[in-house]
Amino acid sequence: MRISRRSLNWGLAASLAAPSILRSARAEGETVKIGMVLPVTGPAADSGGYALAGAKIALDRVNKAGGVLGKQVELVTEDDQTTNPGAVLAFSKLAAQPDIVAFLGSIRSTQNHAMASDILKTGKPVCFGGTDPKLTKLGNPWLIRFRPNDSYSGRVIASYGVETLGKKHWAIVHSTDAFGTGGFNALSAALDKVGAKVALDQGYPNQSQDFTPVVLAIKSSGADVIGSYFTFDNDVAIFARQLRQLGVTLPWVGSPSIIDVGALKLAGPALYGTFGVADYAIDSSPAAKEFANLYAAISKVPPDNYSSWTYDAIGVLCDAMARAGSTDPDKVRAAMLATRGYKGAEGEYNFDEFGDGLHGYNIVRNEKGSVVFDKHIEFTD
Amino acid sequence: MELFVQLLFTGVGIGAVYALVALGFVLIFRATSVVNFAQGEFSMVAAYLMVVFAVDLGLPYWVAFLISIAGMALLGAVFNLLVYYPLRNRGYLPVLISTIGASIFLSNSVLALYGPQPQVLPGWFDTPGFQVGPIYLDSQYLVILAVTLALVLFQYWLFEHTLLGKKLQATSQDKEMASLLGIPVALMIMFTFIYSAVLGGIAGILVAPVLFVSIQMGSNIALKAFAATIIGGFGDVAGAILGGFAIGIIETFGAAYISVPFKDAFAFIVLIVFLALKPQGIFGERVSEKA
Repeated sequence: MRISRRSLNWGLAASLAAPSILRSARAEGETVKIGMVLPVTGPAADSGGYALAGAKIALDRVNKAGGVLGKQVELVTEDDQTTNPGAVLAFSKLAAQPDIVAFLGSIRSTQNHAMASDILKTGKPVCFGGTDPKLTKLGNPWLIRFRPNDSYSGRVIASYGVETLGKKHWAIVHSTDAFGTGGFNALSAALDKVGAKVALDQGYPNQSQDFTPVVLAIKSSGADVIGSYFTFDNDVAIFARQLRQLGVTLPWVGSPSIIDVGALKLAGPALYGTFGVADYAIDSSPAAKEFANLYAAISKVPPDNYSSWTYDAIGVLCDAMARAGSTDPDKVRAAMLATRGYKGAEGEYNFDEFGDGLHGYNIVRNEKGSVVFDKHIEFTD
Repeated sequence: MELFVQLLFTGVGIGAVYALVALGFVLIFRATSVVNFAQGEFSMVAAYLMVVFAVDLGLPYWVAFLISIAGMALLGAVFNLLVYYPLRNRGYLPVLISTIGASIFLSNSVLALYGPQPQVLPGWFDTPGFQVGPIYLDSQYLVILAVTLALVLFQYWLFEHTLLGKKLQATSQDKEMASLLGIPVALMIMFTFIYSAVLGGIAGILVAPVLFVSIQMGSNIALKAFAATIIGGFGDVAGAILGGFAIGIIETFGAAYISVPFKDAFAFIVLIVFLALKPQGIFGERVSEKA
């Protein structure tokens, strides 16, 4: 067969153009891809498993209902190693894939802070679960939150401790990372407003092996109630055990980690009788119950906020893409922020202009290891 | 005063764990001139073995303990054969990197086999502790102190009053001379790895009821134990023990009287001070004096 110069030129042009055509076709994609940064290794690896389970339940639901924009939705995951550098690396790997249309970030504020500049450069919506109030006020339009922030948790902890429990002198124990410091600031501001006093501001480094100095400081502080912002389950559990062993029986109202599945298992009776603010509580709504039933089909442990926020994030994100009729980042972001009255496992989502979807918390109590819903407090201001 | 005593008890208890792991560092360093960065993972593996045998399989605690320790002895032997022995003639750095690789391998293997959820291991006694006046004595810390004391005495007897101990000492002092005297050097090094794995394992099993069983428990302890060996004098057995107790007490009192958020920093501030002013540690010899 004789090859003409003209057909050779066409062939060369086609072979040069093929990779970019294929890339573009892949970007169009047979599936809609969502990237997810989660801990598979490191001290929070257990929570990564719960987060993935919640996301998969939502994904399964969306795909069974026909997917989004006529395509199935697929999750692409990367391990953040429970570290800030790990989170940045994981997000970079995902962001380098042009066919990923949106992301699920971290439940840890400190990791979201670390990833924030890369998120801004990537220019695609990132749903996250960190509760530091500053995260949605960084001027980064792509950060969209799926848990109530700590300005709400601080107000709920203060309100419950002061008005319901009648306690005015607080010992606040908090991690010294972005989450714990943000939580302390929010709680102390809320206590100030209701006329209560901070008797002790006690920060601690994550993964502490001993809380004896902290407990002894509480004993000598004259506090009549403990408020807490713990980042890791094992820290909650070690503190709880040492608190009880050293004879402190003060009432304790904590951030959501106090009722995490891992903390309940490790601490056992040491956490009985404590109170917690919880973005997820099984009995708080029909949507929360429905999620618990779906979760029970795949897991032996009950769901908690690690799985509920990813379940809601996938649900809202897919709903927004369907309403936007596109995976264009600007359109998806606009549709997400326009979400009103979406009934998720964590509550009803009504996004504000900053990207905060939830504006209240549940109060729960630990009754011999079972988490019992008390009430929901919603804020409109 | 009661605050002081309570803190002292806790500091000595946690220091005993650092001392046991530090002892493992020192023994391997003396025998091979290499720092074993997987020493902390020995503690973690042993704690998981206890969870498997005592909790999952429901064996009596002491039976589970003996099986776990036997498992650690086996791990020490395998570690010697696979991580140290093939690289023994290639200098310091390849072996050191090999131990770092082994450390990552061990933690990821346990993660793959057992999953990431932290586990609860019950203590030796059903009673969590005793109230003596205003002081609370955690029963597990009492066990830790008692076992550490027993192991230190055992080690003294082993090294000073047995032929095996003298062979081990000879190997650590001069391998070439020991070999010329007919001491099976390779076997002595194998025994050192086994003994160090057992020591690390005992530390892990003892501390697990207090800190829970998790993949990263070993690395948290090992970092402080490593600092302890430098403070005590790298390569010195008494220094490792003293350094371990010193780190435990310094960080506990530093947290209580200066700053809790800087608790972890105190150990390393002391380490930096020693490296700057007395790099040979408390009991270490100056290098120039050896010449």
